[in-house]
Amino acid sequence: MRPREIVVMSGKGGTGKTTLASVLARALSGNCVLCDADVDVPDLWILLAPRVQLEEEFIGGDKAALHRPPCDDCGLCVPVCRFGALSMENGKVTLDWSRCEGCGACTLVCPRGAFSLSPAVQGRIYGSETDFGFFWHARLLPGGENSGRLVQVLRERTKKTAVEQGKPWILVDGPPGIACPAISAMTGCSVALAVTEPSRSGLHDLKRLGELAARFRVPMAVVLNRCDLSEEGSETIREACRREGWPLLVEIPFIPGVVEDLARARIPEAISPEMVRQILEGIDALLVPVK
Amino acid sequence: MRPLGRKALSIAVVSGKGGTGKTSFSASLALSRPGVVAVDADVEEPNLALLLGDPVMATMNVTLPVPAVEAEKCTRCGICSRTCRFGAVLSFGQAPPVFNELCHGCGACVMACPEKALYEVERPVGFVGRGSSNGIILVEGRLMVGMPNPVPVIERAIELGLSEGLDTVIDSPPGAACPMVAALREADVAILVTEPTPFGRADAEVVAEVLRDMGKPAALVVNRSGILETDPPFDGITGTFPVLARLPFSRVVAEGCARGIPPTELDPSWKDAAKAAWEWATEVTR
Repeated sequence: MRPREIVVMSGKGGTGKTTLASVLARALSGNCVLCDADVDVPDLWILLAPRVQLEEEFIGGDKAALHRPPCDDCGLCVPVCRFGALSMENGKVTLDWSRCEGCGACTLVCPRGAFSLSPAVQGRIYGSETDFGFFWHARLLPGGENSGRLVQVLRERTKKTAVEQGKPWILVDGPPGIACPAISAMTGCSVALAVTEPSRSGLHDLKRLGELAARFRVPMAVVLNRCDLSEEGSETIREACRREGWPLLVEIPFIPGVVEDLARARIPEAISPEMVRQILEGIDALLVPVK
Repeated sequence: MRPLGRKALSIAVVSGKGGTGKTSFSASLALSRPGVVAVDADVEEPNLALLLGDPVMATMNVTLPVPAVEAEKCTRCGICSRTCRFGAVLSFGQAPPVFNELCHGCGACVMACPEKALYEVERPVGFVGRGSSNGIILVEGRLMVGMPNPVPVIERAIELGLSEGLDTVIDSPPGAACPMVAALREADVAILVTEPTPFGRADAEVVAEVLRDMGKPAALVVNRSGILETDPPFDGITGTFPVLARLPFSRVVAEGCARGIPPTELDPSWKDAAKAAWEWATEVTR
């Protein structure tokens, strides 16, 4: 049977993605493989206490290198680079590696063949044991690029492990935002669980996430966190869910015990099994039955 | 505002972890200094306007030059497809190439085509808006939903914001990858807004590595201070940054932000923190 993939998303950061992922991991313990797709600032490991079994380099895109000789500082390459990685400084062609996107335009224009492209290490990938299931996570180098590709690689590993171990569930802790890593984390998932909060920014970002999910044809359900922060805000979220047809699976109030558990790097005890059951049942209802 | 004879100052507000209070602090910085420019560089989820009175904005498209093909000139040689490093040019059999959203707009395929069959068109990938509210000029970048690369929108918003020649606050995206680097690149200094949880500290440390590598002066603002009896210390690179303020967790502030009321109107400690940040930034760039 093909494992079902739940991705926890939010658009806006800090709404409780990782918290919810950890609680779901505990509920699905023994039946899931886990993945942290927030690769530039990964946090799920803090709650899962992984025991690393496998470790490898992540080779991202290419980067250009400038060789001198043969470079004679003719400067033809400078206007060709669209990313501002090449400039003339005191008559010398200068390459800013951090701006290079590895497109290779410089290699095409250089009459002396002074540029080469080579794959660059952009992070590390880890496969770990946890108390709840096998866990794939990563660390993009600070300031690194190609996070979307790294997410894709992690999800491929996770799926492979789930199939090998015969686990019915894959749980992905997604990144914030809606750009490349978010798209990579969401594409092809069985369901996206959007964690939001009753604020104007929460609503604004939820709508953008909903648009993204619709575009990539991933069914989306909503968890409203800190629902007692603003009754007015909660009502606007409920209304948006009704209008857009997103099932609102559960409303979680602000619980001081949760914050304290998190500050001590513990999976919160205070989110009740009843709430978790509502989420899992809601997800089940959204899934197409397996033939 | 900037006194005569002084170069304008730009502060990027960063965090690593999302939801620590970047946007709230950016709004506080803007509101505590009349005549500044506030740039929302969190173009995937721009929220700064919601705390700055949601002004009406004049918008323009941000576009990326992407390839198109003159089918009659194309010989189906496939060189364009092999040249593209991003998998954005697909060439199958006897059909002319097709282009997808993975395009970075580098122009390499156009350069490589031996028949000059490719040319470029501008594809909209986002918007930049400009408006003003209570003496603050707000510049907002906004990525179109479904577009994978926020960097051109971030760069355009910051370019427009800095072109005003005034002191500037840049509300940066979360994380520590290329979008955050793009938001930080043109800033003079960075304020790292974090929280005293294991998540806030771990993510701040990743950002601190970027700040160190880029040589940006940086300082900390610790939000939600006092979750535990004493805030655990910041270690590593983060531990070497000065702490400008510790802002206690406040339900009133959280409720206010949820409704679009900036924290400076609700809690004087935010005003003091913003003032301390401007003083520090002025001092460190002198």
